[in-house]
Parts: sequence; C-alpha cells; structure tokens
Amino acid sequence: MAPSHYSSGARTTHAEAILGPELNARLGDTKVLLVGAGGIGCELLKNIVLTGFGHITLLDLDTIDLSNLNRQFLFRKKDVKQSKAMVAAQTAAAFNPNVHIHPIHGNIKEPQFDISWFQSFDIVLNALDNLDARRHVNKMCMAAGVPLVESGTAGYLGQVEPLLKDRTECFDCVPKPTPKSFPVCTIRSTPSQPIHCIVWSKSYLLGQLFGEDEDATGELDDAEKEGENAQEIATLRKEAQAFNSVRQALRTPGAPDAAKLAFQKVFNSDIRNLLSMGDMWKSRSPPTVLDFDAIMDGSFSLQRSTAGPSNVNGNNAANGVASVNGAVVSGSKKTEQLLNGHGHANASMSSASSLKDQKRLSLRDSLDLFVSSTNRLAARLQAGEETISFDKDDDDTLDFVTAASNLRSAAYGIEDKTRWEIKEMAGNIIPAIATTNAIISGLIVLQALHLLRQSYTHLRNVHIQYKPTVPLSSTSLAPPNAACAVCRDTYSVLLCDPARARLGEVVEGLLGGSGREVSVYEEKRILSDPDFDDNNESTLESLNVGQGRFLTIVDEEGEYGTIGVAIGALPPNHPIDAPPFILPDPLPKPARKATPPPPATPPPAAGLKRSAPHDDDGIEEVEPSAKRTKTATDTETPSAPSNPFAAPLSSPSKRRRLEEDGLVLMEDKHDKLEDEDVIEID
Amino acid sequence: MPDSQTIESATTALATRTPQPDTKTRRYDRQLRLWAASGQAALESARVLVISGSATSTSILKNLVLPGIGHFTILDHERVSPADAGNNFFLEGQSSVGKFRAEEAVRLLRELNDGVEGKADTRIIEQVLDNDPAFITSFSLVIAHNLNENTVARIAKLLWEDETYPSFVVVRSSGFLAEFSIQFHEHTVIESHSETAPTLRIDKPFPALLEYANSLDFTNMDPTEHSHIPYVVILVRVLEDWKKSHNGAAPKTYEEKKEFKKTITAMKVKVDEENFDEAEAQAYRCWTESSVPSEIAALFQDPKAFSAASSSSSTSPFFALLAALRAFTVQHDPPQVLPLSATLPDMKSNTVNYVHLQTLYKKRAEEEKAQFKKYLALSGGAGIDDALIDSFVKNAHALKLLRGRQWTSVHSSAETLGNSMAMNSKHVSTHLALASLSSLQAKQADTKVTTEALTAEAATLLPSGLELPEEWDEAAGEIARSPNADLPNMAALLGGLVAQEVIKMITKQYVPINGYCVVDLIEMWTGVVG
Ligand SMILES: [Zn+2]
Repeated sequence: MAPSHYSSGARTTHAEAILGPELNARLGDTKVLLVGAGGIGCELLKNIVLTGFGHITLLDLDTIDLSNLNRQFLFRKKDVKQSKAMVAAQTAAAFNPNVHIHPIHGNIKEPQFDISWFQSFDIVLNALDNLDARRHVNKMCMAAGVPLVESGTAGYLGQVEPLLKDRTECFDCVPKPTPKSFPVCTIRSTPSQPIHCIVWSKSYLLGQLFGEDEDATGELDDAEKEGENAQEIATLRKEAQAFNSVRQALRTPGAPDAAKLAFQKVFNSDIRNLLSMGDMWKSRSPPTVLDFDAIMDGSFSLQRSTAGPSNVNGNNAANGVASVNGAVVSGSKKTEQLLNGHGHANASMSSASSLKDQKRLSLRDSLDLFVSSTNRLAARLQAGEETISFDKDDDDTLDFVTAASNLRSAAYGIEDKTRWEIKEMAGNIIPAIATTNAIISGLIVLQALHLLRQSYTHLRNVHIQYKPTVPLSSTSLAPPNAACAVCRDTYSVLLCDPARARLGEVVEGLLGGSGREVSVYEEKRILSDPDFDDNNESTLESLNVGQGRFLTIVDEEGEYGTIGVAIGALPPNHPIDAPPFILPDPLPKPARKATPPPPATPPPAAGLKRSAPHDDDGIEEVEPSAKRTKTATDTETPSAPSNPFAAPLSSPSKRRRLEEDGLVLMEDKHDKLEDEDVIEID
Repeated sequence: MPDSQTIESATTALATRTPQPDTKTRRYDRQLRLWAASGQAALESARVLVISGSATSTSILKNLVLPGIGHFTILDHERVSPADAGNNFFLEGQSSVGKFRAEEAVRLLRELNDGVEGKADTRIIEQVLDNDPAFITSFSLVIAHNLNENTVARIAKLLWEDETYPSFVVVRSSGFLAEFSIQFHEHTVIESHSETAPTLRIDKPFPALLEYANSLDFTNMDPTEHSHIPYVVILVRVLEDWKKSHNGAAPKTYEEKKEFKKTITAMKVKVDEENFDEAEAQAYRCWTESSVPSEIAALFQDPKAFSAASSSSSTSPFFALLAALRAFTVQHDPPQVLPLSATLPDMKSNTVNYVHLQTLYKKRAEEEKAQFKKYLALSGGAGIDDALIDSFVKNAHALKLLRGRQWTSVHSSAETLGNSMAMNSKHVSTHLALASLSSLQAKQADTKVTTEALTAEAATLLPSGLELPEEWDEAAGEIARSPNADLPNMAALLGGLVAQEVIKMITKQYVPINGYCVVDLIEMWTGVVG
C-alpha cells in the first residue's frame, strides 16, 4: 500500500507552487516523453518522479558502460551492459509507486515513433548526446505541436532551451556546425595529421576488415567524377578490392598469421603501390614502407621524412568527402562555440601522464597491439559476430584503431597519439560530470512546468558558464527564424497504407484539387516536380516513404508556405475496399506569403540524370528548403494547443501572488516581456 | 579497493604492454578529461563533512560521491520524518521514517560508489563544537545546510582560527530562493583553465624566431611554399621590416595599422593564400605589447611572494613559484614578459614549416623554463616537483590568488549594505531576505515567518530609514510562503551548483565563486554579492 505521504506533503509542493493547486492536481495525468537515460536523463528522471509527473515514457538506445557510473547514478557496476532505459526505470520507480514509468529500449528514429505517437505526450524532454537524434526529435515535436525542452552539457558548460512551434526558435532555426570532414584522398593516401590516420583506421580499415562486405569504391567513383587524380583513384580502387583475401583469413579459424597478412597488405604492399606513383610524391614527402619482421626483431628504423606541402589545418573539404562520424559535440550553439574555442582535451595532457593509457607507444608496442587486437576481433567474428564497427567503449576496436593509426602515422612521419587521446578523437568524447547534469536537469524541470502552464514569459534559454561572477546566465527566447525549413512549415498527418497509396493521388488529394504547382520531397530526395511526374504512379512504399517519414510539398511559385505531411498508419478497422489513405481534415492550409515571391528558380534537378525511382542513388538529393526564398511574414496565428494546462487563468495582477495553498505564478499567457524580465548575457 | 584492481588487463597476455586503462580510470574517464589525474588525486584525498542530512545536503553529496571524493561524513542527529522521506531521493521512503537521517543517507549514498568511504555521525553539532572541535577541523572541507545562524557563526569562527583549517561552505535555501558562500583563508589556482591564450610574443620575437623570419626570401620563393609560411613567421618578418622604416616602432595609429595590413595583403602571390589572410587577421598581435598581465603584476606585490624564500614549509609552493616568476620578469631579456609558452595554435601551414616553428618555440620555452628554475632555486623552491613547475609556467598568464574573509550572515556592514541595495537591489534583496530568515529563526526556531517579521528583521541590518525596494517584497514574500521548504528539484539544482564549487576548491582548478552566490529559481538567475 502506498504510504499516505506520497500523495501529499513536500513531494508535490514544488510543482504546485508553479502550476497552482488546481493544475497541479492534474500533474498525475501528465504524459512526459523523456528521450535519453544518460547523464542528464538519470538526473531528470529522478527529478520528474519527485515532482510528480504521473506518466513517464523513457526511451534510450544504449546499454550501460562502466564510464557512465561517474554521473549516471541510477546505475551500479552490476548493471553494466544492461539497457539504460530498463534499469533507470526500475531504480526510479521504486521511489514513487504512484508514477508509471514505461521504459523503451530503442531508437527514437524508428518508424513506429511517428507523429501520432509524439502527439500522445504533453511534453517532450530531450536528454540526448548527439545532433542527429536532437534534430529528429525537434522536427517531430514541431510537426506534432508538442512542447520540447532541449538540453546539452559539455564539461562544466551546459544549456537548456524550451522550444515551442510558432512561439520560439526551434533547434534548427540556427544552423548547427556540420561534422568535420576530410577529402577522401587525404584519408586514403596523403594523411598529414594524426586525425587523418585515426579516421582512416576507424572509418575505413576497421570496416574493410571486420565490417560488412561492401564495395568501398563508391566514394572513389564520386571522387573521380569530381576530378581527383585518376591514377591515384585507380590505385586506391585496386587496394580496396584486394581486401578479400585478408577478410577471408580473418574469418577462418586457425588461419595462421591473419594479423600479419592484414599488416602486410595495408602497411607494406599498399604503401609500395602508392610509392610507385612518382607524381604524387614530387611535392610531398613519400611514406615509409613498414616491415613486420624488422619491427618485431628491433632492426627496423624509420627514416624521418622531409614532408612536403600538405595542410596542417586539414579541414578544407575538397571534392569527394569522407565523413568523420555523425556524432558532434553535445549541446547547442553557445556551448559548442565555447567548447570549440577551448581545448578541454588538452587539460589532461601534462599532469595525467601517469595513467596507463596515456603512455606513449613505441612502434613495437603499436605492432603488438595491432596483432593482439586484430586477433581478438578475428576471434569474435569466428565466434559468430557478423560485423564489428567502431565503438569507443569496445576495447578491441579502440585498441585496433589506436594501433593502426599509430602505425600509419609512423609510416607517414606524423606524430603518434596515446590510446587516451585517440579515444577522445575517434569517439568524439565530451567530458561529463555529475554537477553540470544536476544543474541542467533542475532547469529542465522548471522550464517544463512553465511550458505546461503556458507561462511563456518565464521561459528562458539558460547557460551554465565558467564565469565565477555569473554561474548561470539566461536570455529571453528568440522568435522562430522565418527562413527555418523545419518549424515554419505547416504540418499535417496522412494516414495511409504506403504499399497501395500512390504519390500522385496522395499529393493531389492533399492539395484539395487546387491545382497548385508543387515539388515533392522526402528529406532531400526530390520525388516529383511540375516537369517530372515519373513517380506519380509509384506507391509510397516503393519510393521508400513509409510510416514515420515526411512528404514535403513545396509551392512552385513560392506563393504558399511549405507543407510537411507525416505518414501514419491506417486505423485497424479501415475497410479493405476503401481508398488506401485518409486525408487530413481539415486539409493543410499553408500560410500565403504576403509579399510577391521572387521568380521561381528552375528546379535544381533539371538536366541531371534521373534513373528509376526505386534506385535511391538516382534520386536527386537537394535541400528542399534552400530552393525557395521564404519571406519573413507569417500570417498564421498560433492557436493554443489543447492541453489541460491551457485552462484560463484568474486575475493576472502581478506575476506572483499569495494564495491559500501557496504562491502561484500569475500571468496572462499573452503577457509581453518586460525589460526587467530579461537578463542579458554578461 | 575493488576499483583499483586491474583484473581485466591482468587476464590479457600482453598485460604489461597493452595500454588499456584500469577500471578506475574507465569509470572516471569523462571527468579525467576535464580535471586530469591531478584533480582526481585531489578529490580522492579530500575528506568532506556535511552538517545535516537534508535533501539539499544529500544532493550535494551525491555529486561528490559519484566523481569519487575520498571520504564523507554526515553529521545529523535528527530522525527521518515523513516529509523527508517524500523529498529526499537518498532515503528509502517510508521504511526510513524514524531512523537516523545520517545513517540512512550514508548507506544509500555509499551505494553510488564503492571507492568512497562514508560515515554517519549522530551527535548534536553544538555538542561537538563544545567538546570535540578537533573533529570538525580534521576535515578538508565542511558544508552546512540551513543550520541555525548562531551555530554557523560558531563553526565559521572555529574554522577561521587557523590558516590550515578547512574551508567552510554555508548553504541557505528557502523554497525557490537560495544562496551559498565559501569561507576560505586563501585559495590559489594554477590551472585556472583560462580562455585567454598566452602571448606568442610576435612583437618581441626571440632570436631564433627572428632569424628564421629574416632568412626567408618571400619574393623568390616557390609559390607553393609561399602559401605555407605560418602567419606567425609572416608577421614577425613584416613587423621587422616595418620597424626599420619607422624608427624601430610598431604601428600605432589607425592609419598605420591599416597600412601595415595592406603590406601583408600586397605580399600575396595568389589571391587564395589563406596564410596571408590569417596574418592580416592576426596583425593586432604586432601592436599588442607582450607584457606581464596586470592581474599577475598585482600578485607580485603580495607580501607572501616576498617572504617565500625565508618562510617555512607551511607556505604553499605557489608563493615560491610566484617569487621566481617575479624575478624572471625583472631579470629576463626582454624584461616584463612571462616565460614563453610552448603551445602553438593551429595555423595554415604545411607539416614541415609548422613542425619547424613548433620546434623553435619548444626549444625557447625550455630555455626560459630553465632560467625560471634558477630563480626558483633562489626563492626557496628547489624541491618543487617538475610537473608542478611545468604547469605553473604553462599557466603563468592566468594564475589566481583569492583571499577570503570570515563568514558573516550578511555580506557587509549596514552602511555598505544600503549602498549595494541601491546598486543591485534584486540580488541583495534575496541575500538580505535569506539572512533575515536565519536571524529570525535563530532567535526563536518555531517563530511564524511573515513578510512583516522579515521586514522588521531586515531593518535591524540596514541603515535606519532606508526604504526597501520592490524586489524586497517579492523576495520576502517568497520566503514567507514556505520558509522551510526543501523542494526536491531545487535541492537537486542547488546540489549541482554547490558541488561544482566544492570540486573547484578541492581540485584547485577553475576559479570558484568568491562572495555570496544568490539563486532565484523562479526567474532562473544567479548573481554574486559581496
Ligand atoms: Zn525553426
């Protein structure tokens, strides 16, 4: 039986003071989606359980790692390798039996988490660590019209921002820095920095040896098309194809010297091949061929190279680009800027050298590590693991990348890195501590209560910063960016059977027979435009537009705003002989642009090859938003979403007022921001 | 010590060779990247006493136990009430009710990290002060949350008696308002993690750098090579040439600076030479004099920096290092510069040129460090560890020395309080409201807290006749609403803020708050008064 104090007393005082007694009583019915059960997620889950939110859905893809335990306090050592969502839910639920926690061990991008699923929540709280998932949740929340609190931390820095469609900036209103990328030839044949060798080991070599048996020549095709050195490309292509025998050996139990075979291929014969191209090394210093046996018996000596021109900064992306992993710095704008300008990674260099993985490795050490990690990975393949990809917390892969990149660095006369440094560089590791997560989580709950209460004047972007005089700084919220391609669109839901619904009829239905000329996209893929109707008879499924995806309908004349149509599933009782889709009612009504649009630019896809619609590669990739100039005027007035907290408020006299049961924050939801409410960043 | 065993690495054949870290390093990986092994070692040798087992206290402790402080003790004689059980995550709900708060909280906090030692002490703090003050001074840091003001004053007085006694963190909270302050005698920070980079000394190039810059023949250089000369070298050279035609002076006026930049642009042989763009953007370094920053020059005047050589071992090595630094800046050629930093920022160049420049800087930095060490030996720092010297020299441009004062309930005397109220009414009102609450409750624990009572109490702390601002009414009103509420979310947030500062104090890294940090969580701001 639940003890009596659970339903009264201090536990609920907090939310009550912000929401007022009446709305607070409904907190038990509030449905919260918490995305992420990591550092912020654990803290936040504890806080919202204590605050009294009644229904919490907790979703996380990850399992628990030892390195989580310095801050993710709902986990113990015995929980390592268990699902974060499951364990966190179990631990936190024990504290308050009145709260229903529904844990999901899964990826937020899975199709079943579609727009209707998002709409089943009153509020969404992000506790994520990667840009991709953040952008996805942002888009879903904007489309669903559900308030979102976004957050991020990096070491001592952190940020919280409340996001609400049509009222505040969304996460994508301000462009985010894209992951650093390098020219493919820099990675494959002419590295000049440690990071080039790390990317090569992690994103190329590891995959070639232990990943899926895929043709690694695709990006070489692109590079060649873009006019990279043809001879160099040809050599790289030959090199890629010759991986087969090594892959075979690694997968054959008892095959002798598979590690040596791998070594000989990449550090000996591949380098020899590259050296045979005299032209390449006229203006840069040639790499050194490594000799397995000579390194082993200590007779090998590296001739220090006199390197020729290359690029120390190394980030001027050229044609044919190899991407360095999608995960970017956690946190948003300001945090990222601070971080980028601040070499936190170096903090540990001098004084931490006593740690074991901060020891410098000799060439022989690297070779030993290469052999042992290759053997460990090969044993895993032979034991049934199908593919192995890089994971910074998987010691075998980290050891492999450490060894391979240092060997490559040695061959190219590039400075070596310790395993500690390589882990940070390859894993995009961001320092994380309990204190920052605690502060951020507390702020998230406050923002969430203000959002539920629709007391918009209290919403703030809050930053934790280094300044000893102002540990927290807050700024008032900016309005949506009129040119944002995510939150300025008009969203709608189409329930359909993608296997039967055809693109043409669906788009025609959505436009309500207005006959407007439009282009239709899925993400960046163009599916149709006024001069291109090949796909109109194709089913959505064959176009790879299934549940959870969006059709983006852009007005050809630029006269109307863009429509985003989320694809949802038909209700189970939908008659089999009825049309395979249900149009939204009312139909989406995009805002009409007030000013006459600039002349429509010709479709960017014109004149380029268009192959069969089923071939993903043949579909043009363009930025649907970039295509049309949008005007700043937005005639749409936000209608209050129907939620229980939107109840009309009594006498908004002062912002605070004493009431019988406690202080209630009082304000009209249309209150203007007063100057005194705004705290400038110092 | 289960965490320090390296069972995993011991099972691999190459145990001694493989660089895999032990489980402890793995557990603390994400924080080691922030404060390094030196910070971690400081944490692990810290012993923290927390007085009261409130929700705020356990939230602070949670954030110290997770990163692995050495030891904590909770001193609290109270038993768990139903209200405690409802808002303190580190109690076990109903089953904890009636048991000692300290014992229950310690048990649950220890579960977070088996590398941390935790103890419960159920004595009454006043009795400990009377009979066993040495117990309190035996810790490295003491934290008190919402204690009786008179008791806080007694602890503060005790810990102020000797320089070696622990720092004292005083936390007060009421509903959505809170403040905390740290009493310390003196706090020195070498690794301040400053965002300002040390000078590259382009305006005062060392001989090898100047020689290198002068040796380059920009006009007849291979065009590829031309586009790979680091901007540092370009600037040194252009400045040197400029000085020759300007009586040895760097550009001063706006016109001169513009002309200087034009000279750089004119040197380009191709439009897209980014190294020259960088040089133009960084040209200000030529007329920004490399000198001893004024904050560091002020430290040189500290009396302890003069007595370092003669004083006993009780003086921290900081002052011997500081004295040596002062000697260096006086006697070094050129004078009035700090030892050169070996760290070169990333810049447009090819590997060869960059590495060459890096070598020049490293070599020079080593030479200057050697000189610094000579002065250090003379200032009584002969035995100081090399790693500490390295760190000191590396951070010489951003050293911090904070001097504290004894804790008082309000941050200043009546007169200055009146002034600061006028200047900063929002922060000071909240500070004063919390002080008035303490003062009121110290007189009579179960007194009824009303806005009027708080206002009357505040009047005794302020110059007579001072009219209280509107912000006062808001702050006092908020406190009167629920004077003793220790709200879970507020406790969590405050626990983060306080622990953050405690970690800065213990690790002596980053710069802690000096003064009273005031927090208003309705409006979500923080400010520092005093
Ligand atoms: Zn937006």
